[in-house]
Amino acid sequence: MSATIHPEAILRDLSELWVSLGKQHDGEHTSGVLRACAMTLIVIVDASEDPNIVGETLAALMREHPSRAIVVRLKPSAERILESRVFAQCWMPFATRRQICCEQIEITASHASLADVPPVILALAVPDLPVILWCRALSSFPLPAISPFHPILSKMIVDGTELGSPVEALEQLKSRPTSPAVADLTWTRITRWRQLIAQIFENPEYLSRLREVSEVRISHAGSEIPLSAYYLAGWILESLSGFAIPKVRFEPVETNVHGRLAGVELRGEGPDALRVTLERGDGNTARVRVDGLENCALFPRHTDYELLREELSIAQSDAVYERMLPNAMELALGKAK
Amino acid sequence: MPGANPFQDPLRFERRVPECIAVIFGATGDLTRRKLMPALYRLAYDRRLSPGFAVVGSSRTRLSDEQFRERMRGSVKKYLDDSPFDEDVWEGFASGLFYVAGDVNDSDSFHRLAGRLKEIEQMRRTGGNVLFYLATQPSQYAATAFGIGEAGLAKGPGWRRLVVEKPFGHDLESSRKLSDDLHEVFPEHEVYRIDHYLGKETVQNILAFRFGNGIFEPLWNRRYVEHVQITAAESIGVEGRGAYYQEAGALRDMIQNHLLQVMATVAMEPSASFDPTAVRDERAKLLRSIRIMKPGEVRCDAVRGQYGPARIGGADLPGFRQEEGVDPDSPTETYAAVTFFVENWRWAGVPFYVRTGKRLPKRVTEISIQFHAAPHTVFNGGALPNLLVLRIQPEEGISLKFLSKQPGAGMMLRPVSMDFNYGTSFGERSPSAYETLLLDAIIGDATLYNRQDMVEASWATVEPIMRTWASEAPGFPNYPAGTWGPKAADEMLSRRGHAWRTP
Repeated sequence: MSATIHPEAILRDLSELWVSLGKQHDGEHTSGVLRACAMTLIVIVDASEDPNIVGETLAALMREHPSRAIVVRLKPSAERILESRVFAQCWMPFATRRQICCEQIEITASHASLADVPPVILALAVPDLPVILWCRALSSFPLPAISPFHPILSKMIVDGTELGSPVEALEQLKSRPTSPAVADLTWTRITRWRQLIAQIFENPEYLSRLREVSEVRISHAGSEIPLSAYYLAGWILESLSGFAIPKVRFEPVETNVHGRLAGVELRGEGPDALRVTLERGDGNTARVRVDGLENCALFPRHTDYELLREELSIAQSDAVYERMLPNAMELALGKAK
Repeated sequence: MPGANPFQDPLRFERRVPECIAVIFGATGDLTRRKLMPALYRLAYDRRLSPGFAVVGSSRTRLSDEQFRERMRGSVKKYLDDSPFDEDVWEGFASGLFYVAGDVNDSDSFHRLAGRLKEIEQMRRTGGNVLFYLATQPSQYAATAFGIGEAGLAKGPGWRRLVVEKPFGHDLESSRKLSDDLHEVFPEHEVYRIDHYLGKETVQNILAFRFGNGIFEPLWNRRYVEHVQITAAESIGVEGRGAYYQEAGALRDMIQNHLLQVMATVAMEPSASFDPTAVRDERAKLLRSIRIMKPGEVRCDAVRGQYGPARIGGADLPGFRQEEGVDPDSPTETYAAVTFFVENWRWAGVPFYVRTGKRLPKRVTEISIQFHAAPHTVFNGGALPNLLVLRIQPEEGISLKFLSKQPGAGMMLRPVSMDFNYGTSFGERSPSAYETLLLDAIIGDATLYNRQDMVEASWATVEPIMRTWASEAPGFPNYPAGTWGPKAADEMLSRRGHAWRTP
């Protein structure tokens, strides 16, 4: 097992990779290869995780967000292990001869060698382009461990659900430094819920009745209130900060649907008051009901690719998320007491 | 009055879409079946439409709401090109589909429509917003607008907009008459003249490319650009539209509207903002700056053609005059190539070669901007000019061609191409032009729609060509199907030392 890797050697390997790809012949033609890169994407995963899962996500992402991907695979070992290899993800667009390729570097590191990884990555980041870190191994690589990367990161992507209980997750997320920007995939998962609610209140009639809302009910699968439910409630409270603050109720429901959020209802008091309900259906859809009017929206199961695609499209810090966090924290603490 | 929607999140939610009813006249026609309804369904599928959104179809055929829904379901399934069909989403969308049978020349039809709209407006809480879409024969545009006006439908508690498909008249005078008729009912800012070319992603990307990057705009002028070529080629013939096409021809069907709009997008000055009025003002200014040809110039700078029969790939293809519904002596051009000049400081003296045709070797639409060659070359083999190609279809993208040293000893140069492929760089499905434009009309964003002054400037530009061609008998057919058009079109460029690029 090797315990040292040299960034220059990796870059040289990459350079040779491009030359060899360029020499590949397609029958009698040499069609060439187009290199595409819009960012450096660092992915931290546990070595025990099936490499195909991340590989497939990266392959899907590179069409929209071509990157130099650096996958760091963490091995739970006291032995010093540090290895690397380079390869390319290529595809050939329909009706063209030319391949489009993105480069991928895989670094395998044991826990004992973790401290050696950030300097290597610093040297491998593509100049002048954003550097984004997606940590999929928060249990073995918690938020404080990411701090050596902070100076080069434009953004880091985590999944708050992986940070422990909602209170633990919120405490970590609230106490982190303001830079780099953080994206939480638990927040990304509720974008479509938020979007549907926002869409309903584009209607001036419903908007004018928003002050009628006195209660927000959020139903969820399982007995524990999920982080996503606190996020949704926190966001609704933040959005309604100019109005009378509604009561928030979390309700566990028995459901077969995927995902942990099962529904949300904004309602006023009395039979004629405004009532807006979003309810996840059994299939890939959600039912939207507003004052008796019913519609259906597509709500398929999220893939990592879809969540990442959304987050990689946003370069800056998410102000709405940041404003929502204190409300979510307050709700979670209230429930935790 | 309610204030702003507190739930909006501009970072993540793309557009703010109001509730509305879309009333489609010509609801059983081809355009509705093939384009409009699949585009609306796809918007619903993508959660872009509001929960109360409704469509009211209208045409002469007697149908119940249920029959209309069934028909539209078949059309959506058939013409939904690159999207899955989801039964649940369809059911939700279809619950907002309604139908009112009627004749645009019968005022009772509009009163019935008014009653139905009132009902649906209450049921779906659409706030009185109505988008009228004229997917009818152009000859019915004015009558439909008058019917809407007489029934009191052009005004209401919400906004009212009118979407009109091309052709916007058949010459300058008829286009003015059409605008005057429409303005009797709808003010200009409520009239949305649709040009689906402007809804294409790459045409919009021209604006992003030019005005979002600092490095290209300084080169975008007569000092660096030698000439511009805009090609819109189709490999198919008139495909059953012979009767319509015979009345229109390539100049009216493509150049007067789509290609002059594309040219305006390529050549316009930067607007002060991305506000619809500001962008359209600049487009209109550019269209007004195009030199109007004198009759003598038409003979040098405009070429027409008509395809004759040919045998391609073992198949015998008919000439235009042999197509169904076409007069065997038809003088209509199926090919037109025109050299335009823009009379302003930026473009003075730079030829814009615009061509379009049917039964050309392949389907392609692209803009190529040829830059001047290096003023002095120190290498063997001379200097090749740089070329920037903006591809609109079929593969949307941008390519820049430049010279590079061949590897090895010596100093041999060869052209290489740097490509940006829209579909593969941003693999997300691009919305169809109709999705983009319908959503824009619902939102009230007219940036990609034509305005009266733009349409009139386009007609003024092509009218001298139309008049000259009408006064002279053409020697048709003058190009075989499957070729790049008549020889005269090549000569038009070679007189200025240029040649058509083969796309």
